[in-house]
Amino acid sequence: MLTVDCVSRIFQHGKAGFRHVDFQLSKGEVVGVLGTSGCGKSTLLRVLAGLDPNYQGMIQTSAENPDQAFGMMFQEPRLMPWLNVIDNITFGAKRASSQQQAEELLETVGLAGFEKHFPKDLSGGMAQRVAIARSLLHQPEILLLDEPFSALDAFTKMQLQDLLLSIWEKHDTTTLLVTHDIDEAVYLCDRVIIMRGQPGQVESEIHIDRPKPRKRGDAQLAELKEEILKELDFTKT
Amino acid sequence: MSSRTEVAVTPSVKEKKKKRSFPFWKSNVFLGSLIPIALVILWELSSRIGWVAPHLLPAPTTVLEEVVSMAQSGELWGHIWITLYRVLAGFLVGTSVAIVLGAATGYSKIANQLLDPMLQALRAIPSLAWVPLFILWIGIGETSKITLVAVGVFFPVYLNLTSGIQGVDRKLIEVGRMYHFSSVQLIRRIILPASFPSFLVGIRSGLSLGWMFVVAAELLGASQGLGYLMVFGQNTSAPELVVGSILLFAIFGKVTDEVLKRIQTRALRWQDNMENAS
Repeated sequence: MLTVDCVSRIFQHGKAGFRHVDFQLSKGEVVGVLGTSGCGKSTLLRVLAGLDPNYQGMIQTSAENPDQAFGMMFQEPRLMPWLNVIDNITFGAKRASSQQQAEELLETVGLAGFEKHFPKDLSGGMAQRVAIARSLLHQPEILLLDEPFSALDAFTKMQLQDLLLSIWEKHDTTTLLVTHDIDEAVYLCDRVIIMRGQPGQVESEIHIDRPKPRKRGDAQLAELKEEILKELDFTKT
Repeated sequence: MSSRTEVAVTPSVKEKKKKRSFPFWKSNVFLGSLIPIALVILWELSSRIGWVAPHLLPAPTTVLEEVVSMAQSGELWGHIWITLYRVLAGFLVGTSVAIVLGAATGYSKIANQLLDPMLQALRAIPSLAWVPLFILWIGIGETSKITLVAVGVFFPVYLNLTSGIQGVDRKLIEVGRMYHFSSVQLIRRIILPASFPSFLVGIRSGLSLGWMFVVAAELLGASQGLGYLMVFGQNTSAPELVVGSILLFAIFGKVTDEVLKRIQTRALRWQDNMENAS
């Protein structure tokens, strides 16, 4: 689905960004990118999304329409404050038929009835739900999520993680999830890529074979978390 | 544990709009007019009793009588009409030029480097300094007056629009770039709506400056208009004419500003600010 081959993006004289990143995503896979802050994981997502064209290396997708292959969701909802919920969801839409699709997505994210509300009337969690719906409108083949729930409280976060699980079940969207929350990564992902260093490099990859939906208190996931913590090893520099 | 069922909240926007019934004496209209009414009564009394000389400050009733009699004779309407025409024409011209230049300097860096320093320098020139020059260049007719008003309107609109455009959240523009928007689409769908609040602030202060500049233009060479009435009143020692013109300026300034304010409130219902808080 997506092949990233030796991609680098360095700034500040080689002290920030990431270097020689290789990985592949297969169809329907959910892959997490974990790393300490400053290891370039968000930059990686920006490069993939086409927001940062100054990179070296090769990025290939097998998508039919590479221009619309990616959907992105940011840390903040980034809704247009002057548009109501439904217009925000259809914001980037080129076809008129997307109105009905938007209604369905609103239903999916649990906000039916909020069509005419402005973003100022929404809570942080609701706004992020709208952002999820907006990023899904194009039916992107690859969904890029940049720490999508890091600004939310613990309960809202869990609800939205489960929402993502139900969306994946329905749409089978290939997803790359950047996060610094290890629990989130082991709960949601089929595979976790661990990045370290400044500029960041891929340190290791961990497969998580537990079937989904998983239990949040699963003992095996706790072991995996232990392993990831060891990989990240905050005492090493 | 599905998350689809958890949002059972019903939308509540409509309920918020229900107005609570206020006692009249707490309403804005009443409280806002309390002090002005008291002052007018005090003024009337002090003129009647003779505390102030009526040939310097005539009583409000005298002013009102003068205005009414001029309105009845039809003389007043010509003055009002020509002043309104000058303000509105100057406002439209000034705003249009400001939109073009402000959009250019706000959006394009090179246009900003080329134009902005010059415009900022021109802004430093006091308004009245233009008058002799405009009269020399374009004569004493309508055009020079409208030009002067347009100059006054131009700067606030220009400054607010430019800073509004420059202040558009980069994060929102990135959303547009995710959708592969062209420059035109970015401007139309993100930059213009996002800078609209700032633009509205600009046209409101532009309009009030327009009223200021029309007085300057009419004081210095007009044969008609509310500003001319003031000069005429001064020359004929008719203070009621001067005070009446001032009042008319105040009324028209307030009314036109109120129109813009209404537009502003309606257009910016989406803003998360004190005014829209419920």
